[in-house]
Amino acid sequence: MKKKVQRLLIVALTVILITIPIISSDGIFPYAIQTETLDNGLEVVLVSMNSGGLIAYWSIARVGSRDEYEENRTGFAHFFEHMMFRGTVAYPADVYNAITTSIGASTNAFTTDDLTAYHLSISPQDLEVVMEIESDRFQNLSYPEEMFQTEAGAVYGEYRKNRMNPFFVVAEAVYREAFSKHTYGHTAMGYEEDIKEMPKLFDYSKSFFERHYRPENTILLIVGPIDPKTTMRMIRNYYGEWEVGYKPPDIPREPPQTAERRIEVPYQGKSLPIVWISYKADAFNPEDRYYVANSLLCEMAFGRASEIYKKLVLEEQVIEFIQARQNTNRDPGLIDIVTRIKDPAKVEYVISEIDRVIAEFKSKTPETGRLQELKSRLKYNFLMGLNTPSNVARSLVRWLAVSGTHQVVNVLHETAEKITPEDVLSAARKYLVSQKRTVAVLKGAN
Amino acid sequence: MFPTKQAYWVVVVLILILIFVSCILPRSDDSRAILLPVLDDPTVSFTIWFQVGSQNDPSGKEGLAALTGSLISSGATEVNDYKEILEKLYPLASEYSVHVDKEMTTLNGRSHIENLQEYFALLTDAYLRPDFNEGDFKRLKNDQLNYLEKTLRYASDEELCKEVLSEIIFTGTPYRHPVQGTVAGLQSITLDDVRSFYERFYIRGNARVALGGGYPSWLVERFEKTLEDLPSGQVNEESTVKPTQAEGRSVVLVQKDNADASISFGFPISVRRGERDFYALWIANSWLGEHRNSSGRLYNLIRGERGMNYGNYSYIEAFPQGGSRFMPPVNVARKQQMFQVWIRTLPNSQAQFALRAAVRQLVELIEKGMNATEFELTRDFLSKYYLHFAETTQMRLGYAVDDVFYGISGEGHLARFSEMMNSISLDEVNRALKKYLQHENMTITIITGEVKLLAEALREDLPSPVKYGIPKPVDVLEEDKLIETYPLKVRSVRIVPVEEIFEN
Repeated sequence: MKKKVQRLLIVALTVILITIPIISSDGIFPYAIQTETLDNGLEVVLVSMNSGGLIAYWSIARVGSRDEYEENRTGFAHFFEHMMFRGTVAYPADVYNAITTSIGASTNAFTTDDLTAYHLSISPQDLEVVMEIESDRFQNLSYPEEMFQTEAGAVYGEYRKNRMNPFFVVAEAVYREAFSKHTYGHTAMGYEEDIKEMPKLFDYSKSFFERHYRPENTILLIVGPIDPKTTMRMIRNYYGEWEVGYKPPDIPREPPQTAERRIEVPYQGKSLPIVWISYKADAFNPEDRYYVANSLLCEMAFGRASEIYKKLVLEEQVIEFIQARQNTNRDPGLIDIVTRIKDPAKVEYVISEIDRVIAEFKSKTPETGRLQELKSRLKYNFLMGLNTPSNVARSLVRWLAVSGTHQVVNVLHETAEKITPEDVLSAARKYLVSQKRTVAVLKGAN
Repeated sequence: MFPTKQAYWVVVVLILILIFVSCILPRSDDSRAILLPVLDDPTVSFTIWFQVGSQNDPSGKEGLAALTGSLISSGATEVNDYKEILEKLYPLASEYSVHVDKEMTTLNGRSHIENLQEYFALLTDAYLRPDFNEGDFKRLKNDQLNYLEKTLRYASDEELCKEVLSEIIFTGTPYRHPVQGTVAGLQSITLDDVRSFYERFYIRGNARVALGGGYPSWLVERFEKTLEDLPSGQVNEESTVKPTQAEGRSVVLVQKDNADASISFGFPISVRRGERDFYALWIANSWLGEHRNSSGRLYNLIRGERGMNYGNYSYIEAFPQGGSRFMPPVNVARKQQMFQVWIRTLPNSQAQFALRAAVRQLVELIEKGMNATEFELTRDFLSKYYLHFAETTQMRLGYAVDDVFYGISGEGHLARFSEMMNSISLDEVNRALKKYLQHENMTITIITGEVKLLAEALREDLPSPVKYGIPKPVDVLEEDKLIETYPLKVRSVRIVPVEEIFEN
């Protein structure tokens, strides 16, 4: 049952866990990948996979809360994701819904800081009809103002259901504190005050679509039992006329952090204290040994086989869980260390233990055997996650969106294979610097 | 030997089908293993199903089945302490977990074929040789208590609301308390209680193994043989769960400071998976409120047309943790099910209106039935949508276990589902609606920060007009007039502070 509880907690966290594929030199990735960039810049990635009998159809817009740089526009990329289901002239919302319903598609979408993904799981015989309606809404979206205003209510409803979750509350606060300028300072959900004003932004929504939903800012990823040649021909036919016009956002740069920040986050309900420590990191760079070593470091220092997990979770039983991850972001993001503390009196003690572990990783190289075990874990984790077309797509989506190219999978693998214990030491010294961190403590109304 | 290439391939395919069928059907010996071989799968999926669940919690020890399960999945064995287990599982990127429900407990795991031997040893130690030590017990009991007192009560009003509904509907039955138990029940559990529970219920006669994926043939017998190391004992008697039908529409308001409104309502139903009527009712329910899908009527009525919340769904089978999953769960098989509607969080000022809208819609569906267009679209949808229910081998194993629980013979529930979509008529659907659903007697639960206002409004059946602040189409406004005064005729309203929920 504890695992179940932890799983719920992990789901509640609003960041993505990085898993790095360790692929052997003879190519352990079991499926053939074919790519093409259309003349208008649309990047197409096709993965042939026969098991399961379903096709995963993913349209990935490289737009997210990162692009919300204008005043009072937080949460707009996510709101706009909702509007993408509100139809076109050729396929109004009810017709679009009737089509996806009649073919038994499983459809959904999600928005994060760097991307918005629209995904369908479908039967192979429905590929062309899906390509027709998906290419249409990405090129010809059109909805009345009343529909736009109504959907704003649904977004507010989504915020309402989330705001009782203590992890949502602390994530919103810690990101706001960690970034003074950059748009990573707000979550994809946006601030409540901005969500309330959304019904007034009908005209803005049209310009948002025109600026961001362009072929050169989009990746089409299709996984499943497909014939790559025929599929590519269909894609050229349906997406080839899509006009370019992407306008990159003017995202402010975050000034270097020079002193530790600390905040206490109040929570209306009852909750055990949550400690969330965020260090400033670099932008995703699969070629950079330090960046990649830092991802491994997070797992070695705070994963389920780490010394601190054994000491604080199992022996002393002062925390429920602990985990750390370096986020995969287009711009410099954060390294998040998160734990929930069983005894409210032990908050400072737990922070001091985290500091002790960090000091150790900054003072000596980890054991080579430990690093090998981690590489083994990452390899099997990656392979075992590739069991359905949807899961294959899910494992690739963030790398594709952040880097803009599928080549990243191989590059990341090559770099990860070369990581040495000395690289891990260097990464700890480079990134885990107290002047560059924000420490948040959530306290419930107990 | 073969006249044509086609004939050769026909024979090859027939042989493969025969091999497959021989593997999934019960074998002529006394094997009870459930098998789902997948030739090109580089992983092996395991399930050990124990016929025990929270309904077997002794009175005053609610939460014991869940805690025993936790100790098996996240505690030491006689061979390794829990730290050693984590160390050994770590490079394999594998784990095992226990899922406890009302009537069943499953231990599930998955391994890459390259790590099979090592993983299998760790997995089997977990259920054959649990250590049940004081340290693990204290840690996991505390986690479970925190889940009840903090997470379930405070972190998601929607899950809380559904759990309260279940508790009220199943009052007086072994299904009443949450699987995680009650605060008082958990507090009274000792380590000796866990040991006794394990010895009483984790016995040979209550256990079945299920194996799927690319497993080697030797593994089947070896896996099944592990059950011989479990003690023999008194096999569970068939349980009976007979909930009392609510009289009229009764409301329970859970008072929680600063909360918006989260609503659930429902009643027990007598139809069960496997029966023809069940699939007929599934079609109607899918039209009314397909889970996390924009095709459902309740979704469109309250969210799509009025923008009041994030979604609204209905169910004819248990669907725990619906907020974090899209497809139906496995291994929550229950002999007694309930029909329920889930109205997601909305402003308190709109709670009565949304409840009226949903109840009115339910009444209309039962009385008028589906029309031919709605029926055909929903049936076509489900004919393919069910393919998403079990995309992984682990999920298919889960369905296979549930098939045994429900006594569904042949190719199982999913195959029957597909077959039924091709044969059920609109008349059957509309007859099933009238036979199994009703609207006079139901329990309604609402988590809210506005108990006084809402209690009065519900008791007096006050009108509940809605102000949108934005222009709305005429047809929506006209329907609103009918909804806002629709008589809910609530028989009783009871108020419970959130701190008292799950206490005993």
